[in-house]
Amino acid sequence: MTLADYQQMMDRCVRCSKCKFLDGILVKSKQYSTICPSIERYNLHAYSGGGRVIMANAIQRGRAKFSDEMLDALYRCTNCGACEVACKMYYDIEPNEVIHELRVAAVESGVGPMPKHKKYIDLVERTHNPYGESPMNREAWLPDGVRVDERSDTIYWVGCTAALRRQEIAQATARILNAAHEPFALLGSDEYCCGSPVYRVGDRSRAIEIMKENVERFKQHGVKRIITSCAGCYNMLKVEYPRFVDLDIEVVHISQLMESLLADGKLRLTREVPMKVTYHDPCHLGRMAEPYEKWEGQMVEVLALVYMADPPKPVRTGGHGVYDAPRNVLKQIPGVELVEMERIREYAYCCGAGGGVKAAYPDFAVWTAKNRMEEAESTGAQALVSCCPFCSTNFHDGIEERGSQMEYYDLTELVAKSIGGDE
Amino acid sequence: MLEDKIYAALKNIVGPENISRDPAILETYAYQWCNEVDNTLKGREPSRFGQRPEAVVLPGSAEEVQAIVRLCNEHDIKFKALSTGQGAWAGVTVPRAIQIDLRRMNRILEINVQNRYAVIEPYVTNAQLQAELVKHGLIHNAQGGGPQTSPLASHTSFVGPSFTSSHTGFSGRNLLGAEWVLPTGDIVRVGSFNYSGEWFSGDGPAFSLRGVFRGGYGAYGGLGVFTQCAIRLFSLPIPKDWKWEIKGTVPDYEWNLPPYWKMFVLNFADWDTFTEAFYEVNDQDMSMMAMASSAEGLATMFTNTREAALEAIFAGLLVKTQRYFVVMVTAHTEREFDYRTKFLQAILKKYGGQDLIEEGVVTAQPMHYAEGLRNSLGNHAFRFTSCFQSTHGGLDTIAMSVKIGIVNQPIKQKYIEKHVIGDDRGEGIWITGYEGGHMAHLEVPTVYDPSSPESCRGYAYYQDECNKADISNALGIPFFIVGDAFHDSYGPNVMDYPRWLRKIKAAFDPKGVSDPGHYVSSKPREGST
Repeated sequence: MTLADYQQMMDRCVRCSKCKFLDGILVKSKQYSTICPSIERYNLHAYSGGGRVIMANAIQRGRAKFSDEMLDALYRCTNCGACEVACKMYYDIEPNEVIHELRVAAVESGVGPMPKHKKYIDLVERTHNPYGESPMNREAWLPDGVRVDERSDTIYWVGCTAALRRQEIAQATARILNAAHEPFALLGSDEYCCGSPVYRVGDRSRAIEIMKENVERFKQHGVKRIITSCAGCYNMLKVEYPRFVDLDIEVVHISQLMESLLADGKLRLTREVPMKVTYHDPCHLGRMAEPYEKWEGQMVEVLALVYMADPPKPVRTGGHGVYDAPRNVLKQIPGVELVEMERIREYAYCCGAGGGVKAAYPDFAVWTAKNRMEEAESTGAQALVSCCPFCSTNFHDGIEERGSQMEYYDLTELVAKSIGGDE
Repeated sequence: MLEDKIYAALKNIVGPENISRDPAILETYAYQWCNEVDNTLKGREPSRFGQRPEAVVLPGSAEEVQAIVRLCNEHDIKFKALSTGQGAWAGVTVPRAIQIDLRRMNRILEINVQNRYAVIEPYVTNAQLQAELVKHGLIHNAQGGGPQTSPLASHTSFVGPSFTSSHTGFSGRNLLGAEWVLPTGDIVRVGSFNYSGEWFSGDGPAFSLRGVFRGGYGAYGGLGVFTQCAIRLFSLPIPKDWKWEIKGTVPDYEWNLPPYWKMFVLNFADWDTFTEAFYEVNDQDMSMMAMASSAEGLATMFTNTREAALEAIFAGLLVKTQRYFVVMVTAHTEREFDYRTKFLQAILKKYGGQDLIEEGVVTAQPMHYAEGLRNSLGNHAFRFTSCFQSTHGGLDTIAMSVKIGIVNQPIKQKYIEKHVIGDDRGEGIWITGYEGGHMAHLEVPTVYDPSSPESCRGYAYYQDECNKADISNALGIPFFIVGDAFHDSYGPNVMDYPRWLRKIKAAFDPKGVSDPGHYVSSKPREGST
């Protein structure tokens, strides 16, 4: 795809501003009626989903050129996809896809991504993770007593953030898998970045190279199934990889696996975890987690100017992400009471970290996390729970800056507590 | 290009984060829905990109707006304010103009439950306001533009019919007061603002400035900037402990329908019986919603995707509907509900109609009740091609609305046959009763393809022909009669009103800095009377 392929879509933007809010009937209060952190923070229309579509249109039509200010508006976006959910309720427009394509165009024009992104892309190339850590540190999280089955064709794909920054998630995940007698192998220093941070900022060609290399490694290791505790990695492996490379491997998020292990009686939660919690849907596990289904067919004009896809074309609405599995697991932890925020599921408010924002605009990332924390606190919950190491990092920063009394847990940590695996 | 000195002065007023003159950023203000129509009628390419402002500023208070406007007067710069900003009338139309984006002014300042009014700033949206009002068993008139649009813009500057108009009237009539930054930069508080601090009257003691600054149709932002306003509120029949709850997922949501709410689709054999029945229902103030459309409109109204709407059409909706209107009955008590229901059944019997919901022809899901209340139902029409716009648009009697629909049909059919607008057999209309009694608003929603220049041009020419038909058939003034050329073409037929509009413009905007593009300029056009 190129920006030109989106011309018709871009011309259809009504500039209605629906991309800034929950769909009308979902609004329960003014305070939690907005959905786009970027426009909420920066206010200029260019910082909304629709605004970026118009900028892309202007670039494509030669009416405007890339500028520093324009690039700032383009990259101060977490690529969370909420604008697209709201827009698609009424229109055949995919703002998040256009935003991504504009980033690709910026990179191909030599003006993108932003300097901080270039720095971590360089680190990914040299050290295979965006943090610049030695690949030898990738298994430093592995505690004594955890059983790893090197012969298993199932791997636990730890991901850079859980392996190198949020090791408590990796440890909890491994303990849960052990408790359920679910064998897994680790790739260790052979596990490279999935390519997400490279892809999200528009360096698509380099991201595809990373995907190809990873697929080759999966083949070498005889991998048949991937379990991951990272929403970002899950999204790349499950949703983006199949668009660009052949990946005939089952990909499962740990929340889905835990749900299934609980249903089968292979995982038992026995210890009380007395805690009122609220759950944050990570964008990459939620509205962005629907696969792109290949469609071949034609658009048939069934009424004047009105077209229908023949055969029916799958639409990524954002409504069919991984929403129920984490909630079903939470509800089975003895002592846990789940209370919901106003903005959940496909309309969950982003944590603020994605799309390269945490690296390039850390102040904006934390500003968004603090907003979400405020909503979480309003539920009366003692803890915020989610399923994404990257959300975890940003929420920990947000809690610290906000001085919040709330605790943050990854879902795996609470499950590990309930099976007694946290000690 | 705005001079550096002026740009610096603007930046000094709003702060460095709240201003831009970057061309790509400004393009997001130059681009507006319906610019393709304006551009076509002005002989240009049918693009949604219009005049690019020289800068955009985002003030945070009336005082900042005032300082900006004074600076514009000082340096002969034109300005146009927008709130949520959807439509050509939100953008600037002339060179050397700046856009004032009121997004930062987004507070609900007061909800006065006892006296039933709310005081709001420009960027409060309909959904936000209604969400807070519902907690008190109240609603406002949320204009058909949708839940994400600004009630202040509608109440102070636009027409403002809605899906609940039979209960909540139209925006212009519900304005109780406004804080108005005049084109000169002076601030005037209109209505009872200065009198008692409570906003009970739109006109206040002495003269009616409401008539001057908005009249029936509004000045479309061509006469200064409104920085807050008070609007009338209405009762919403819900139990005290009822809360707005939504479940399910996109696009099929489930809403907790309050007790004593019911939707009817009353279908009649012809326009005559339709008209009589519609008069009676409006006369008796029986409904939260009373509005008519075409079969195609009904299909999209009560479905949640384009495919489902098309399936409803192909399943025979066209032959099962004649002239219908949708009624949403809401009541506080069972007795009231029974009375209203029996009344509608009596109307059906009297005029030989059927309830298409009762007959199983259509189904209104609970979420459609919510969408009616939040004014999302009109947005469903975008699903066909991602675009529609309306022609005609008079606020007049029910009989006049029906007459416009009848006159419009062959005009529309002609453009349908040219394959430039969507095919609704020329019958696509939207009539909503308002203020009870005999009043109704009609507009003719028309689907076209915004990505096709041919379709955009076709729609524009169709709209132009509709406007001319309104004159030749004495059908009243449509709501897109904006700008000098249109006013001058209508003026001679309607007591030459542009003369008076121009006197108002000249008196309140002596330097002509408030962008007149969708209102009127103070000097008559060459050759006009």
